[in-house]
Amino acid sequence: MDKFEAAFNELIEKELKIEPRDWMPEKYREHLIRQVSQHAHSEVIGMQPEGNWLLRAPSLRSKQVLLAKIQDEAGHGLYLYSVAETLGISRQEMVQQLHEGKAKYSSIFNYPTLTWADMGAVGWLVDGAAITNQVSLQRTSYGPYSRGMVRICKEESFHQRQGYEIMMQMAFGTPEQKEMAQDALNRFWFPALMMFGPHDKDSAHSSQAMKWKIKIESNDHLRQKFIDHTVKQIEYLGLKSPDPNMKWNEATGHYDHSPFNWDEFWNVVNGNGPCNQERLDHHKKVHNDNKWVREAAAAYALKTETQVA
Amino acid sequence: MKIKKHVFVRLADTSVILGQRLAEMCSNGPTLEEDIALSNISLDLFGRADELYKIVAKLEGDKFTPDDYVFRRNEREYYNIKLVEQPNEDFAWVIARQFLHDVYAREVFTQLSSSKNADLAGISQKVLKEIKYSYVHSKDWMNRLGLGTEESNTRLQKALDHLMKYVDELFAFDELDKTYLADCEKLKSIWFKEVDEVLLESNLKRNPFPPLSMRDYRDGFHSEHMGHLLSIMQYLPRAYPDAKW
Amino acid sequence: MESGDKVWEVFIQKKAGLPFKHAGSVHGYDKKMALQNARDLYTRRGEGRELWVVEASNIVAVPLDEADAFFDPADDKIYRHPTFYNIPDSVGHM
Repeated sequence: MDKFEAAFNELIEKELKIEPRDWMPEKYREHLIRQVSQHAHSEVIGMQPEGNWLLRAPSLRSKQVLLAKIQDEAGHGLYLYSVAETLGISRQEMVQQLHEGKAKYSSIFNYPTLTWADMGAVGWLVDGAAITNQVSLQRTSYGPYSRGMVRICKEESFHQRQGYEIMMQMAFGTPEQKEMAQDALNRFWFPALMMFGPHDKDSAHSSQAMKWKIKIESNDHLRQKFIDHTVKQIEYLGLKSPDPNMKWNEATGHYDHSPFNWDEFWNVVNGNGPCNQERLDHHKKVHNDNKWVREAAAAYALKTETQVA
Repeated sequence: MKIKKHVFVRLADTSVILGQRLAEMCSNGPTLEEDIALSNISLDLFGRADELYKIVAKLEGDKFTPDDYVFRRNEREYYNIKLVEQPNEDFAWVIARQFLHDVYAREVFTQLSSSKNADLAGISQKVLKEIKYSYVHSKDWMNRLGLGTEESNTRLQKALDHLMKYVDELFAFDELDKTYLADCEKLKSIWFKEVDEVLLESNLKRNPFPPLSMRDYRDGFHSEHMGHLLSIMQYLPRAYPDAKW
Repeated sequence: MESGDKVWEVFIQKKAGLPFKHAGSVHGYDKKMALQNARDLYTRRGEGRELWVVEASNIVAVPLDEADAFFDPADDKIYRHPTFYNIPDSVGHM
């Protein structure tokens, strides 16, 4: 082991941060690039299911709030792309990997948003699950990622609240609204829980990531934390639990849940969800249709900012 | 919904419709950065509309809320300038429409900022800062697209040629305009002077077109785009009239 | 491959009197765009009163393998710190 590797191990051991120009094992770098770019793509693709209702938001207030939230997601995508860039990959390469299907994004965004109540469920459950994960990632061992997470968590603290606010309006509204609220909860509950990833015993990447302290808490641990936290929020809304087996377990001190449908999860991850094709096609189309704009900006900069090298 | 024609309604309607058009650009921009920039401008416009509708509501004895105005009026009851309802054919349209609007809106609110109406003067001060920023953004893009590549220049010229058709009505002032605006002729001359300057420096032209028989936005006339915009925007409150949102 | 999209480092001053702090990076094709993008990305919640952007490629950094030689010699110059000196309490704060 050379002095660089020893220094790296010591930093990890002492829970200090690895910085971009520090030596790091190639596998550590690769793991981070994969994880951070996937995280970035998730923020960006995640703009689409919410964008689906942006133009139909039913009040000026909800329109502003939703737009500000989607705007944050674009911003968080940018923070995360910059984090990945410190590891030696360009944003352009990451976008290319996304378009070629080599890079993934969170499969939750491959589900359609069918009613306005879905804006509630997405903010409350999907952002809620993401925030649970991101709070934990604030302590990740890679410095720029950790700092990015701190900023993102701070900004996202309103996202889950705006979602729950919509759920309250819907659940306490007309019978039709309540029905939409229940339907949204039913459709998003299990996919949101599966966002935490496979069970610990089945998670190939997790153990090495935990050794390197890229990941701090395990999938199952974070998922259970989220469930335990969310049950009383479902009860407050007066909605039925989407899981008939969700019961308080005195012995474990946690809520039990039904087994998850991992076949569906993997099928959606592998491209066969309800909207995979649409999400990716939209991203590609916008990227390609606007190529001329980026070319114009580049040409203009060349003409006006030619500098002495 | 019958409301009195009022200059606040015109300003508010113009803000909300342009805000909606810019919101359409969310996750459709040339870069993520530009999505954020356009969303910011859109948020300013929705906020501005909200403030202005509150003044309208006050004037009308609080019979309606800002949301009533936005979500429960049809095309013929909307009094926005037709320029802002024009669609996002491509990014050049977005920029040209924004630039033409920004020069106009900046001059309008500059004049209104010295209005005797305290509400209006107050809002105008705040709005001016937003518009100045939006103006810098749209003007910079006019330069980039005008001087960038042959393709970007052609696209922007095409967008301008279309959108210019909706400019004449801005300056067909009626009595109501004249009551609120300090100097209508000055507004017009500044607008043309400044737009022509930016077009010239960006290698673009203001092409002449024959006189158009187009009716005035002040009477609630629109292009056909307007109905589609409203049918999307107003869907939920119209479909569920008893629901609270 | 598209070209012209540059990375810029962003520095923000939150209030008058505070130092500029590195906030992160931003993309932009030209200076004005980089400034506007930085404004929209890093100061949407009133986080700044002043903003700098500088092209990332213009930043000069200490080569990694020289870091020891660069910084370690400063570690043992303890006489540069006030606690190195013994001053009697009775003379008051110094």
